[in-house]
Amino acid sequence: MSIFHNIADAISDAAFIWRQEMRQVLRDEGVLIFFVIVPLIYPLLYSWIYNNEVVRNVPVVVVDDNNSSLSRQFTRMADASADVKVLCHAADIDEAKSLVSRQLAKGIYYIPSDFDSNIYGMRQATISVYCDMSLMLTYQAIYQTAVSVTQTMGAGIQVSRTRPVTKRESEISVQPLTVSEVPLFNPAGGYGSSVLLAVLMLILQQTLLLGIGLSAGTARENNRYHELIPIDSHYQGIFRIIGGKFLCYFMIFAVMGAYLTLAVPSFFSFPHLARWQDLLPLMLPYVLACIFFGMIVSCVVRYRENIMLLMVFFSVPLLFLSGISWPVESIPPFWQSISWLFPSTFGIRGYVRLASMGATLNDIRTEYYALWIQTLVYFVITCIVYRHQIIRSRRHAIDRLDRIGKKLEVVNQIRRRKSKQNT
Amino acid sequence: MEQLRHLWLILIRELRILWKNPIYGFCMVLFPIVVILFFTTMLSQGMPEQLPIGIVDADNTSTTRALSHRLDAFQSTQVVERYATVSEARHAIQQGKIYGFLYFPKGTTEELLSSRQPKISYFYSLSSKLSGSLTMKDLKVISTLGSAAVGQATLRARGATDAQIQAMLQPIVVDLHMIANPWSNYNVFLSTVFVPGIIMLFISLITAYSIGTELKFGRSKEWIAIARGNMLVALLGKFLPHAIIWLALFLGYEYYIYGVCHLPHEGGAWAIILLGLMSVFSSMGFGIFAFGLLPSLRMSMSVCSLWAVLSLSMAGSAFPVMAMDGPLQSLSWLFPLRHYFMVYQITVFNGFPLLESWFHFAALAAFMLLPWLVVGKIKNAMLNYVYIP
Repeated sequence: MSIFHNIADAISDAAFIWRQEMRQVLRDEGVLIFFVIVPLIYPLLYSWIYNNEVVRNVPVVVVDDNNSSLSRQFTRMADASADVKVLCHAADIDEAKSLVSRQLAKGIYYIPSDFDSNIYGMRQATISVYCDMSLMLTYQAIYQTAVSVTQTMGAGIQVSRTRPVTKRESEISVQPLTVSEVPLFNPAGGYGSSVLLAVLMLILQQTLLLGIGLSAGTARENNRYHELIPIDSHYQGIFRIIGGKFLCYFMIFAVMGAYLTLAVPSFFSFPHLARWQDLLPLMLPYVLACIFFGMIVSCVVRYRENIMLLMVFFSVPLLFLSGISWPVESIPPFWQSISWLFPSTFGIRGYVRLASMGATLNDIRTEYYALWIQTLVYFVITCIVYRHQIIRSRRHAIDRLDRIGKKLEVVNQIRRRKSKQNT
Repeated sequence: MEQLRHLWLILIRELRILWKNPIYGFCMVLFPIVVILFFTTMLSQGMPEQLPIGIVDADNTSTTRALSHRLDAFQSTQVVERYATVSEARHAIQQGKIYGFLYFPKGTTEELLSSRQPKISYFYSLSSKLSGSLTMKDLKVISTLGSAAVGQATLRARGATDAQIQAMLQPIVVDLHMIANPWSNYNVFLSTVFVPGIIMLFISLITAYSIGTELKFGRSKEWIAIARGNMLVALLGKFLPHAIIWLALFLGYEYYIYGVCHLPHEGGAWAIILLGLMSVFSSMGFGIFAFGLLPSLRMSMSVCSLWAVLSLSMAGSAFPVMAMDGPLQSLSWLFPLRHYFMVYQITVFNGFPLLESWFHFAALAAFMLLPWLVVGKIKNAMLNYVYIP
């Protein structure tokens, strides 16, 4: 009977705390921003930024010292390519350079005067490419266009040079082995498709941590004695408190998680190959680990603003540590071991493979187990820090009671003395 | 003269605040230094090396083995595993074990010897763009080399000279000049934008925080009273110590990456110092403006942090602004980091004259002047608002 009674009590206390926490979230505009507005709006903004995926029509200047039909053919083919647009012809390199310095063009194609005579003389001809290296993507566009155009032109020249019996024989003699290129995943090489999925998962973690931290900060500041845990008959056990708060955060972020991982990629048609049977088991430990991690961090912050400074500082390095923009193999071991502390590292790796490579849960089991381990460890630590908080707030309360008691005693003594004197 | 004395009093008061609240120590010194070290050590290689790739050799002859051995000698990739089938290798990509693989179908050598033009393939994943494109590059080179090697042998047998063979196999070559960053070093791309981005983020956040906490800790009236209601004195006195610390940090960072790490800086020292000054003051201006716009600690800090995090994308250093949609291209002007990046790449990185970046200089100057618009509002907030948690 008493066990059942206890359990029922605990559940009703947890539900009470859940409601309190929910109310606090809705009342606090700072928390509301990070729990609702940022997860809703930010992904849309980022998707919009990266929506065009690739750089098209990078402006280049052509310096054509040759001015032959072959050099003009090169210019035409480069202009016709998707990635590069010929802005204009310049008389010499200096003029071209001034166009680059004014940010009108991002690179220069220089065709030397002996271009066509080299080709007709069966010598190797060159085309010089000068790239402004301040942007990786424009450099790649300019260089790769030049390579593919010269290769196409070269193949035509090769065939025209041989005098074979059949056309097929000439093809084989210049290219005895053909090569086919198969980009398996993210075949267009879109920038958004490779980065955005990671950003989405990171937004989930960061907003969760910020929101929990802010709401804990507010709770402390609203409390008369700056305690995280109020003295209240409902706040009596660790599991009730953690359970109640957890339910509140989980409720919000179950929805946000689904929105971020399912809705946003499909709005903007970023890759979303993940099946729900694989996605759900990944997202569950991810959100759990983030919540408990957030609850631990929230115990450290004294003022609500501090968490903002802390989290903003982490955002960018965490994105790099996930191994999406910089390969995991090249991350120094020290930073790698630090990255294992954060749920986002494994969450991003797992989700990107599910969503953009169509992997299954079995393929990402390392990440999956790592997230469960984090969940467990962070849960235990959460219990420990909350226990500490409860004990502290009780001790402070007892101290205050003692002080009041002592004061009362002093008052009583004075009264007694006065009454003695009177008699 | 009297005003100078007030300024001095506020300055002393501010120094005491900076000393007492550990948050300033963390955000003005410790975190920025950690970020600087993080990016520079993380990217110290410049380019990723030894990315794992696989081989699927269904033919398994000396010719195909020779080609796969050659692939091993490449710098950015490394053959870690041989797979029996394509689907097995594809699975390994999905598991994150390799980034790509080279596939020789059965009968490659036989068809090659009998001039039937066999086909080999390379597979790679662009799910992560950098590792994918590096893998692609190596696989492409090795397969072209393989093709060329056979062609070379045939041509030599027909009596062609080396120069003729070269001209025959590759009639036109591209002679690439990567100006200012010939190694396509990633440290140059990332450390020069993300680190200042984060420092500028801290500058605007701490600036807003510093004004906001006056309200929060109930010192705001005292602050204005010491300045005798003169906002110029109040703000100058308050932010002079900040500015000195931030400048030391920013210039120190610039000295570290250009002087110690030797990242390219065609523009020379003056351009670098000027850019450092402009960046620090424009971010402080933005922070004060954000607080004036929304005179509450949490709202102004939220705005600063959201804005600054967004600016890392809107700077257009990774994904160029010119590839974004039109409205975003105009919006990018509202981010100080965007102008920092433009000035950096025009004057410091490429060493073009300062004049070419006048627009972005003017924009940074405009950010510095923004507080002017909201001084009255800040004064009003300091005197009349009450902090509610």
